[in-house]
Formats: sequence, structure tokens, C-alpha cells
Amino acid sequence: MSGYHHKLIIHLLVICLIFPLTAAPASEQDSTTTQPDIKPTWLWGGAQLIPSPQWVSKDPGLRFGLRWQVTPVLYSFGLNRRVSPWRFFVAEPLARQNGSLELFISPEYLNITADPGDRWLLRGGLRGYFPVYRYGEYVSGSLATSVYTFHGKTGVSYEGGVYFFFGIIGFQATYSPSLDPGKWIFTLRLRYF
Amino acid sequence: MDLYITIKVFLMFKKLIQLGYICLLLAAFNSCSAVRSTINAAGSNIDALLSEPRKIENKITVPYAPEARLAVLWVGHATVLIQIDDKFIMTDPNMMNTVGQFSKRLVEPGIDAEHIPDLDAVLISHLHIDHLSPASLDIIESKIHHLFIPQGGMVYIPDFSFPMDELKTWEIWESDGLRITAVPAVHNGWRYGLDDAWMKTSFTGYVITYNGITVHFAGDTAYDPELFHEIGRQFPDIDLTLVPVSPIHPREYSKVRHTDPIEAIQIYQDLNARFLTPIHFDTFPESADTLGEAGSILQEEMSRRYLTDKQVVILTQGQRYVYIRYEPTIVKSKQGAESKKQ
Repeated sequence: MSGYHHKLIIHLLVICLIFPLTAAPASEQDSTTTQPDIKPTWLWGGAQLIPSPQWVSKDPGLRFGLRWQVTPVLYSFGLNRRVSPWRFFVAEPLARQNGSLELFISPEYLNITADPGDRWLLRGGLRGYFPVYRYGEYVSGSLATSVYTFHGKTGVSYEGGVYFFFGIIGFQATYSPSLDPGKWIFTLRLRYF
Repeated sequence: MDLYITIKVFLMFKKLIQLGYICLLLAAFNSCSAVRSTINAAGSNIDALLSEPRKIENKITVPYAPEARLAVLWVGHATVLIQIDDKFIMTDPNMMNTVGQFSKRLVEPGIDAEHIPDLDAVLISHLHIDHLSPASLDIIESKIHHLFIPQGGMVYIPDFSFPMDELKTWEIWESDGLRITAVPAVHNGWRYGLDDAWMKTSFTGYVITYNGITVHFAGDTAYDPELFHEIGRQFPDIDLTLVPVSPIHPREYSKVRHTDPIEAIQIYQDLNARFLTPIHFDTFPESADTLGEAGSILQEEMSRRYLTDKQVVILTQGQRYVYIRYEPTIVKSKQGAESKKQ
């Protein structure tokens, strides 16, 4: 990974930490507003096990893959200022799709090597969502950058996405300059929260 | 050759058996009322998606009725514009052409957004996508003086310029003589499904009182005799109750969440209200209900209980009805206020 990539990631992490501090004064969270008691449930946990299918570029053509995703922390700037903007693991569609920054971890299965046990990629990164139409519930977009490890090597990826229907269905294109094969990954993102 | 024929016959039988299995599966599906209702609902949704919402001729452009002490303009679904003297209150504003992106409006909104007057209060009963429409609130944002949401509902209301407050059950807000009370309802508080686990309180009904006139808006609710008798005891002089009458089907599923026309009339009688106006029907596809079905059942039940159309006032979208009028002498002095409201 080049020095440029290191700098880029550090910049993004700094933005991720500073932005929430400037966006919503905590004083606006008053006692008359109920703070949601959001918690992971078994049903939610089950929904997270559903993988998103993806197609990985490998000459010639595309190979199949799968992607899961976990969001340890998300800061939403699309919620009412009187409720907490922080989400841990569980983020409702309005919180995520109406504008947010999330740290994410994605285990991925890429069918691009001969050994089936050697096809796992682990990715961690930062994704920003922005609403496009109807508070992001109808259409939203995202930009992300991440660091991955695959076959003992690390690299960076850049990703763009578009989401529909409360963010349940989306399309993501991920570009990894130093992942070959697999420079491009196209994901049909399925996610229920 | 014999072997070849045997294999051919076997394969033919195999296909027939497969076909038989598919037929059996379809028959089993069809015999299940929930599945049948779902298929019907999907059908009516597809039908609506392929057609334009029905136009309303001669929509009201000046909703203020100077002669009215209590008037209602039914915009459609649960969206009702209530006039009590000089105050305007709107319930569950939804001016959109679809809910949930796929369920398309059958009849256009009963008033154009630019003709909606300044609203002293907007009441959100719960957070389901047909009742809480942030995009609709966006359109009328500058006209809203105060928004009310059920306890726990703030999380799904984006930031707007108007003040907003959560109201717990039986909590009262009052300003300039206008009093809003959150009253119980039997429904659920989620918006996206999985949030059912923590959105346990965000549904409500409301009672509006102003200048001695009382209006009950039931929100979305199932029937519970205890609950509505209690509301009736707390508010013994309800003039008008607005109660949902659909979706009716599948009844086993809907009964715990939605009143049907018969239960709506029962609520009206439990509350001992003067007038009932049904809402939440014939505007968007309602599960497997057919257009006009809720109205027909209401009419039958009205006949059975000897209720007149002066008591149960069934409106069409865009129709305004004056329930209580000023005395003629007072109307004259109100003419000046009319131009002010316009």
C-alpha cells in the first residue's frame, strides 16, 4: 500500500471522528424526546447472515462471490437533532440512508483462486451515505474506501453504491487497484438494516 | 427399442407427476385465505401501478368555511383537514402518489397542497409509511405551526423548521385554547418491520378540543371495547370521531390491528359521539379489500342499527362537510375572518 493510500485513509478517519462532533449539539437531545432503545434481536441477527451476491472480474469474464457486512458504529446526520445520532451494529434505514458515516467490516468470499479454502477476503473501511430522493428511503447513494487483506496482502479499495427501497436493495461497484484478479467487484447489496 | 419406449413413457409420467405436484401445490396455496389475500393484494397493487389516480373534479381551493363551527375535508386515506372555528388541524398528511414505492394512490389528494391553509396542529398517529410521509411534511412545512407524534416517534421525523413534540398516552398539550390529548389505540409502532422489537409505544389516537367542540381521531386501531369506553368516559361530549374502516381482509390477520366498518360503528357508539366519519379506505389499495366494499358494509350496518347518514357521514375524497354551523347572525360577523384565512 502506497504512502498516498495511507494518507487518504488517515484523512478519512479524521473526518469520521471530527464530523460528528460538529454536526449535532448534544444539548438538543432533550428529556421530553424518547431515545430509541435500539438493540440487536435474533431476527435482526438472522437477517445479517443473508449474503449479498457479487461478481468479481477475472479474465475472461466474471466469477461469483458473496459479501456480508457489519457496522460496528454509524453516525447519522439525517436524523432529528433531538435523538441520538449514534448507532451500533443496528441502523434503521432512515438513520443510514438519509445521510451517515459508518465504519464497516465485510468478510467476502471470492471465487478467484483454485483453493476453495483460500478465497476469503476481509475488508474494513469507511462509508458515507447520502440521500438522493425522499430522505434516502427511496433512493440513496454511497461512497466508501476500505482496506482489505487477501492472501496475506493488503490493499485499498474505492467503492460507489446506489440503494433503493429503504436501502434493502442496492448496487455497489468496488475498485481495488492492486487486487488482481478481482480489480472490480460488482455487488447486489441486500441488507435489511 | 422396448427400453427406449419404456424410458420415454417413464419420462412422460415423470413430467405428469411433476405437473400434478405443481397443481397440488397451487391448490393448497389457493385454499389458504392468507395466501389468496396476498395474491389479490398484489394483483390490485399491480393494477393501480398501471393506472393514473382518479382525478377529482372541482377541488376545493378555499377550505375555510365561514359558516362552520366544525367542518372536515377528507383529503384521502387518513389525511383529514379539520376546521374547528378558526383553527385548522390536519391528521397524517399524505399527499404522495405512492406509499412504500409500490402501492399507488387510487384517487388523487382531495386538496392541492398550495390550497392547504396554515395548520395550527398536525397529528401523526403512527409511523407506518402510509401515515408518516416525510415528503408530504416537506411540501407543507411552511404551513405547519406544530407537529405532534406519539411517544418514541421522533426518531423517524427528520429535522423540520416547525416545532414538534411527542405525546404520551393521555398527555395533553394546550395553546390558545386548542387542546390536543393523546389517547390510546391498539396498533403497532414500527416503520420498517424489524424495528418492531423496540418501537413499542409509537402509535396513538388523539382528541382535539377547542371552543367546546371535541373531535376524536382514532389513528389506526383495532377494536377494544374497554379502551373506547374509557375514552368516552374521559371525553363525554365527543362531537365527531374519525375511525378507520379498512383493511377488512384477511380478517384473522387484520382484526388485531385494524377496525372494519362494523367495529368502527361500534367505536362510534362506545364513545357516544354525535357523528362518525369513516377514513382509511378506497384511497390506496387496502390488502385484499375491493373498492367500495368498506362503504357497502358500512351502509348495511347503518341500516341494521337504524343510523342515518346525518350521524354516519361517509365522505368522498375532496368532499367537505359541515357538521356544526354557526347561528346565522354569527355567520355575518365571521365574513371578515374568511378573507383573513384565505
